[in-house]
Amino acid sequence: MMPGVLIVEDEKELREMLKTSLLRRKMNVFEAANGKDAIVHFKPSITDLVITDIIMPEEDGLKVIMKLRELKPEIKIIAISGGGKAGPGSYLKLAKALGADAVFSKPFSISDLISKIEELVNIHNN
Amino acid sequence: MNSDVPVNSDFLRYLSKEKVISDEIINNSRSMISIINREYIYEKVNVTFCKAHNSVIGSIVGKSLSDVWGEAVFRDTIKKNVDLCFTGKSIRYEASFDTPHLGKRYFEVVFKPLSIDDEKITHLIVETFDINDLKKSKQAIIEKEEEFRKFETNLPIGFLRCDTSGNILHANKALLKILNCSDELSLTKKNIKSFYPADGLFEMQFSQLIDFNTKSFGLVILKNCSGTEIPCRISGFLELDESGAPSFIDFAFEDSSRELMLENRLLQAQKLETIGALAGGIAHDFNNILATISGYSEMLIEDLPKSSDLSDKVNKIQGAVLKARSITNQILTFSRQVEQEKINVSVSEVLKETIGFVKSAVPQNIIVKNRIHGCNANVFADPTQLFRVFLNLMTNAIQAMEDTGGTMSVTLDVVEGKKVQHDLNKDIVADEYVLITFRDTGKGMEQSQMRRVFEPFFTTREVGKGTGLGLSVVHGIVSEMEGEILVSSSLNVGSEFRVYLPVSKVYPDYSGNLKKRKKILFIKGNKYESRVFSLALESSGYDLVYASDQSQLIKMLSDQNQRPDLIIFMSESVKIKPEELLGIFKSQNLKTPCILITDPQQELLEEKLLNSGFIMQHLFKPVSLKDIKNAIEISLK
Repeated sequence: MMPGVLIVEDEKELREMLKTSLLRRKMNVFEAANGKDAIVHFKPSITDLVITDIIMPEEDGLKVIMKLRELKPEIKIIAISGGGKAGPGSYLKLAKALGADAVFSKPFSISDLISKIEELVNIHNN
Repeated sequence: MNSDVPVNSDFLRYLSKEKVISDEIINNSRSMISIINREYIYEKVNVTFCKAHNSVIGSIVGKSLSDVWGEAVFRDTIKKNVDLCFTGKSIRYEASFDTPHLGKRYFEVVFKPLSIDDEKITHLIVETFDINDLKKSKQAIIEKEEEFRKFETNLPIGFLRCDTSGNILHANKALLKILNCSDELSLTKKNIKSFYPADGLFEMQFSQLIDFNTKSFGLVILKNCSGTEIPCRISGFLELDESGAPSFIDFAFEDSSRELMLENRLLQAQKLETIGALAGGIAHDFNNILATISGYSEMLIEDLPKSSDLSDKVNKIQGAVLKARSITNQILTFSRQVEQEKINVSVSEVLKETIGFVKSAVPQNIIVKNRIHGCNANVFADPTQLFRVFLNLMTNAIQAMEDTGGTMSVTLDVVEGKKVQHDLNKDIVADEYVLITFRDTGKGMEQSQMRRVFEPFFTTREVGKGTGLGLSVVHGIVSEMEGEILVSSSLNVGSEFRVYLPVSKVYPDYSGNLKKRKKILFIKGNKYESRVFSLALESSGYDLVYASDQSQLIKMLSDQNQRPDLIIFMSESVKIKPEELLGIFKSQNLKTPCILITDPQQELLEEKLLNSGFIMQHLFKPVSLKDIKNAIEISLK
């Protein structure tokens, strides 16, 4: 079964790059350009994993993590961020605390990201 | 009276009238008047004298001085003056006496010798005035004056009085201090104009004072006795004489150096904060773009056949992405948006390693001095970042002395939090701070350069030499540790950087002790930098072993008991080349996960090693403790 991956990223070029690389791995890809869209259009039954940016307009990635976890507790989440701090900790640390399974700092290696996705989804399927 | 002398009754009447008048004058005098003889016996006293002693004339005349004033007062105060007066001198002295009627009061006593027959002094006339009120008001004036003196002396405001041409007449202590003059006397020989900057400013202030009588002139940069510029807030007051003409000018000088310094520092901090927010935002956007470039180029490499000469070009794109990433990472560090993995770390240890590292490459014309021993304070920091801070400051110091040679000195001290609070005017987060000072005798900087030294991309070096990010990164790391960095410099004399870091009171957390500690084989690169890593990893609870040459490495890998859980290899290890390492890995049929740390500038010299399949993680310098711990965590899973 092909895993379903939702990409939540406001930066169009980056979103498309992620989409291209996941499609090459024969994954089902859904896209959202901001946190609000991601939450509204989330399809729990066909989504296994979410890649979400953190700093976005219209509901940030932290909100996405909390909301989607609520809608589908077993969903796998990878947070990606280009830096930025909220209070004493970084956004990525916060994302991890909120339940992201993995976090990547931009720019990341796409092959590292894909290995992580495969690892998470495999565990999930087993 | 002799009866032979014819007596004119008018004359007698006249005489008795005169006697009544003179007795009246004497008796009604406010002074005590008496006549004493050589036996210290009162022969005459006036009414005032008697009143003071609650007595009448008849009961005092015939008494001795000691009977009236008491033996002790007579012996200690009166007798010597009386004796002196009998030698022919008039005596005047002040003393306090107790009288039955008036109580204890101050008197002025005047003794005058009396010689009835013009030859021998047989008596003294004593006149005693009550000066108690006068004495009291004098005392009060002295006390008031002393109080005012203290106030004028102790206030940190310089007071000065000068004549209308500016000649200094009086200055208080604070002004001597502000103008750096040794004593008031040397100052009073000067004209206040000599401390003023431009010609005509004093005259202008004087003419304004004539119009307004009193006025605040705001900030004036004065030049003190040693030629240093002192910013002062000046107020003046014009004193007029009875005719209304100007007689003196009084000035108050308030030294504003500290106030200005703090104001400047605040402005600079705000500026850095703004730049940080701006640059951080840009770096964030660039990381998005870099992620896109890097992602597509990785896909391209996958698509291209291994032999294609295009893959070489794509590799170059990847290399450029890594360089760009290192810059965005530095900017994010400056804007404090990179999280630091902090542990308890000994400042002197890291400082020692950094000095060792720098010394190995320092030119011969530069002397490195240090005083860091005897200070065991720990700070809460990422040791690799701390190393970066120290290395950066030392490299800068050395570069500033490249042409001329000189001395770099590094000192480490512990200072009290309260002192830091006062000196830096900032809220403190610890009772104690470490103060690390880096001083060089290099070319120094101008004030304008000094103010901008922590801004990103600001560099005093030629274009193309350095990115100008170093000190901004240092600033970011120090600020993230809730520390402070200050710079002072003068052109052609040298610069000094002072780093204040809060001392951590938390003791090292060896959480690794509870579970079995993982054994990491560290194939070290540059010995000093690696030692900082070792320090960091050991404090994080890992068991570290080292291999510095081939035979040691083979021995460790072939012995089942010595086998590590993980290998970390730093690319510039001198003793073991990447090819050799690869050979050993192959021959041992290595299953241990391996992390490679390289310099992004090295353009993947270790490609063979990377493509071999033995390396699980590849990190690029500068590597933070967080990066390395993440990599270890992933590899050991």
